[in-house]
Amino acid sequence: MIVLKERFVMYFRCTFPPATPALEFAAVMPVISLTVNGNPVTVDVEARALLSRVLRDQLDLTGTHVGCDTSQCGACVVHVDGKPVKSCTMLAVQADGENITTIEGLAKDGKLHPMQEAFRENHGLQCGFCTPGMIMTAVALADENPELDEMSVRKGLEGNLCRCTGYQNIIHAVLDGAKAMRS
Amino acid sequence: MEKYGIGQPVRRKEDARFITGAGTYIDDVAAENMAHAFVLRSPFAHAKILNIDTSEAENMPGVLGIITGQDWAAEGFATMPTKAAISKKIDGSPLNQPPRHCFAIDRARYIGEPVAVVIAETREQAQDAAELVEVDYEDLPAVIDARKALAEDTPRIWDNIEGNVCLDFELGDKDATEKAFANADHVVSLELVNNRVTAAPIEPRGAVAEYDATTDSYKLQNATQNVHANRTTFADVLKIDAESLHHLAPDVGGGFGAKNSSYPEPPILLYAAKKFGRPMKWVNDRNEGFQSDTHGRAQFSKVELALDKDGKFLGLRTRTVGDLGAYCWTNGPFTPTGGSARTQGGPYNIPAMYYSAVAAFTNTMPTDPYRGAGRPEASYQIERIVQHAADTLGFDPVELRRKNLMPTASLPRKTPMGLDVDSGDFPEVFDRTMKMTDREGYAERVANSKKNGMRRGFSIAPYLECSGGMPKEFAGISFTKDGTVTLRVGSHSTGMGHETSKPQILAHTLGVDFDRIDFIQADTKATPIGGGHGGSRSLEVGGAAVLKAANEMLDKAKVLAAHLLNSNADDMDFADGVFTDIKTEQTIAIDDVIAASFEQGRLPEGMEPGCLDTESIFEREIISCPNGAHAAEVEVDPETGAVRVEHYWVIDDFGPIVNPMLADGQVMGGVAQGLGQALMEEIVYDDDGQLVTGSFMDYALPRADSIPKMELGYYEDAPTAKNPLGVKGAGEAGCCASPPAIVNAVLDALKEDGVAHIDMPLTPEKVWRAISEAKK
Amino acid sequence: MYDFTYHRPETLADAEKMFADADDGQYIAGGQTMVPVMKQRLAMPSDIIDLERISDLKGISRDGNVLSIGAMTTHAEVAGSGDVAKAIPALARLADDIGDPAVRNRGTLGGSIANNDPAADYPAALVGLGATIHTTSREIPADDFFTGLFETALEEGEVIVKVSIPVPDKAGYVKFPQPASRFALVGVFVAQIGDSVRVAATGAGPCVFRVEAMEKALEKDFSASALKGISVPGEGLNNDIHASADYRASLISTLARRAVAAAE
Repeated sequence: MIVLKERFVMYFRCTFPPATPALEFAAVMPVISLTVNGNPVTVDVEARALLSRVLRDQLDLTGTHVGCDTSQCGACVVHVDGKPVKSCTMLAVQADGENITTIEGLAKDGKLHPMQEAFRENHGLQCGFCTPGMIMTAVALADENPELDEMSVRKGLEGNLCRCTGYQNIIHAVLDGAKAMRS
Repeated sequence: MEKYGIGQPVRRKEDARFITGAGTYIDDVAAENMAHAFVLRSPFAHAKILNIDTSEAENMPGVLGIITGQDWAAEGFATMPTKAAISKKIDGSPLNQPPRHCFAIDRARYIGEPVAVVIAETREQAQDAAELVEVDYEDLPAVIDARKALAEDTPRIWDNIEGNVCLDFELGDKDATEKAFANADHVVSLELVNNRVTAAPIEPRGAVAEYDATTDSYKLQNATQNVHANRTTFADVLKIDAESLHHLAPDVGGGFGAKNSSYPEPPILLYAAKKFGRPMKWVNDRNEGFQSDTHGRAQFSKVELALDKDGKFLGLRTRTVGDLGAYCWTNGPFTPTGGSARTQGGPYNIPAMYYSAVAAFTNTMPTDPYRGAGRPEASYQIERIVQHAADTLGFDPVELRRKNLMPTASLPRKTPMGLDVDSGDFPEVFDRTMKMTDREGYAERVANSKKNGMRRGFSIAPYLECSGGMPKEFAGISFTKDGTVTLRVGSHSTGMGHETSKPQILAHTLGVDFDRIDFIQADTKATPIGGGHGGSRSLEVGGAAVLKAANEMLDKAKVLAAHLLNSNADDMDFADGVFTDIKTEQTIAIDDVIAASFEQGRLPEGMEPGCLDTESIFEREIISCPNGAHAAEVEVDPETGAVRVEHYWVIDDFGPIVNPMLADGQVMGGVAQGLGQALMEEIVYDDDGQLVTGSFMDYALPRADSIPKMELGYYEDAPTAKNPLGVKGAGEAGCCASPPAIVNAVLDALKEDGVAHIDMPLTPEKVWRAISEAKK
Repeated sequence: MYDFTYHRPETLADAEKMFADADDGQYIAGGQTMVPVMKQRLAMPSDIIDLERISDLKGISRDGNVLSIGAMTTHAEVAGSGDVAKAIPALARLADDIGDPAVRNRGTLGGSIANNDPAADYPAALVGLGATIHTTSREIPADDFFTGLFETALEEGEVIVKVSIPVPDKAGYVKFPQPASRFALVGVFVAQIGDSVRVAATGAGPCVFRVEAMEKALEKDFSASALKGISVPGEGLNNDIHASADYRASLISTLARRAVAAAE
């Protein structure tokens, strides 16, 4: 179904700026409606705007971070319709009509989500930059797997990079958080 | 108070914002009417810039203007000189330093070097326009391998720098070492590559610059780990008064050294903010980060060890070629020279040592200190050569190490490299680590691996490094009437938890409420000086500054307490936040003393309201020596070459542990980065100088399933006398110890295959190939 | 990313019309490759036609010995499907090992095979199982579908509707991941259906390919030991910083043996 006009072996490589000139487009801004952290919002977006950008720049939800351009680091993970998704790899227009939860929407009524508590309690973060995506991934992982163990947590975090912690405390946090979510 | 005292695993204050998405990182910073900058970078490793045509790009929607290297040169801005701690060649002449401007002006010398900067209303518009900037390049031959850079017929990267040499360097006693080798029963030697890696903090670099025309002053918010030093550098470049530049860092998403470096983008941004009269923002994407964040390691060494017939070490000789990249970056020339020389020989008793190095220019992104800055290289060198000696001469590698450790009774001592080793118990630490490793069950684990067609190997790696970084640090304590305590420090946390550990020291010392302490860091207005972060200095130097300020404050508080109790300051005792007159047993709590300090009527003569506010500068004299012993057990799949680290054990001696939870975090993070270097990380340029590992699709970072379970412990019985906390830096130990522990364990596993050495990273193909070739 | 006009049709007919009307149209499925490619400014379509809302392209069903998977079915849906797990457990596991959980929630079977990344997993499965690709205009056997590096038999504007996969007696897939991207450095899919055996390798060459010598050996004796001594020449295989051609060739042999041993 996808017929790619441009071949992109170069995608894997350090890229030169393409020789082709940038096009100018008549800006017809699509309007999208989202439910973000329980609140309905309607927002004008560029078709090319990534979900991560709209969340951060237009809705001021800067807890969702962007740490790479190749969908590897996972700092941008949010829930779309309850499922973890890399918001830097989804167009905002693709999320039209969806229910989005970001890190800012996890705590309810001033009370931290058990997974947030567990990350703090287990020192599952250092610089904190990967943390929002890590926690969002962890919450979904715990939701989907009632019987998490160390191995399944390690695999479940395969799409989230952390450069500070060496992951061990993150794994403890996810296991503890999952336990707390069940009780 | 004890809950927040020294030694307690106090949970982190900063986490409250990080776990809720409320942290403020550079890309979260916005200023009113802000414009955006996009950096057009050289796509060539080495090329002449013949012409830059910006006319079409300037007419693109939203574009405010374009700055090229020629524009920059016309402004007459200064270059960015290196601040390297080693600045002279062996003959005493200054190192060869090419001029580093913020732009490539007539020649680009590495991929990623700024060629032009486009300013537009949005980042997308700036990037759209950047594609229309026409740069006329003339490709020149690129020099990529530092060893080849030194050859006579290699083209020069800098016309006036012969042989592409920045400097040469030596340390130790050459003659004594030669003598030791001449008299040795055995000499073993090994050539080692310490692979070029990148720090890759998950937050990319970026900054927001503002200019205030009414006061002719600047504000720079920057994802840096060193606001003070970089303020001086940026002000010097722009030829402005450093006082007119307010430099601060928001929350910083990891640094590991790479955010210590002085980069070209912030001064360009400051200039643009003034020129266009708008706040300016620039944030790298990851692709740009791979090209333009300073790289680390990149050393080629020949290591030789002389032993007597019983395996006693007699001498160590190391010759290194260091790859500096295209320029002398901020402290780049230090790493392969002084940085790698000081801890040669590790924790071993080696009577004669000699280290020599030459640092070369190449057409690559410059290198600068990355977590460890020479000590991981030194640690790798000694541990590889010791393992090699054991394997080739038939010694038991554990025994050979154990018997050559510096005896505890020999401390304090100076190593032949001049390193002042004042504290530690290396044999005890070594034995404790060995005890953790379950030697009894090892044979069975080996047999099980074998049954599955696998190999299993083990190695221990004792290490000795040195920590301290910038020697001077500031701490300021101030109080308000409502009981708030504000702690300002010149050290800088980029994830290490100083917002917790520093107030912990203060709460412990003063007995004030931990939760009432506000913390300010990384702000040149709030602190007169500061060393930022680097060299694992923040606790031993920064923490000592806090302790010093707290004690000086207590001295004043004691006088006030005595006055309030009508007693004598000399009779005042202080413990757990309470002053006690040892004669009358009258007491007054520190909180009451602080409250009284704001009431003029209750103060003795000579004291004014606010008199307890204290500013202090601590300066350490000698660097301290963190040490320990790590051990790794690995399983190797000989058919695919895949390596799995199965177990990892640690005993570290950092002196007394202030917050064990934070110390664990430092160790585990360092071990993981070392594991990355050992097994998967490498920056690769092809022969034309193209960066092949330009994204996380090709540069492998360890993930959760790459890391084994780590078991950690501390030896706390050997505090150093070099700082009042008795501590030794914890931040870089992990990546000093884990590469040799892991590599040696893999080679132990492959002993039966006849594999003697593999250079890092031990990728599956390299391991597979080594086995295949050993079979031939 | 360059800007474009975005469309979200709800029927295939609308999608095809939008594509035909566009200057330089581009379908998008889960976008897990397309969005990064556009972010890197390596593609510049005038129109993006999103297939996500077309219900005809979704769903998994089994009819006798044929498993059908709609083109817009996500990797997570394939991995979590009871039908798939029962019919072809190796396929469920393969899907569960693509990318990471977030990628699996967006990435689709159709998107993956239309892209035909040389290191993708699904091409190995479809060729290894002898699947058929159903498009808006025809049915294409997997053997004829994957034609080269990022090349398929799809014509301009043609959309994949579903794939139909014969349920094998036994199948196994083993992937050796490239350490950075976690795409397959090499992946080998083996399947036994009646007397016939298929062995398909991905990641190794510019495009997925079958290893006939191994198929013949396994048709005689479906066991790992039957593959002993059968090697694939390194010539023509991919050669990059992560693996040379001869290492990839060696991995094909090793992984094929392991895939046979793991087949169920």
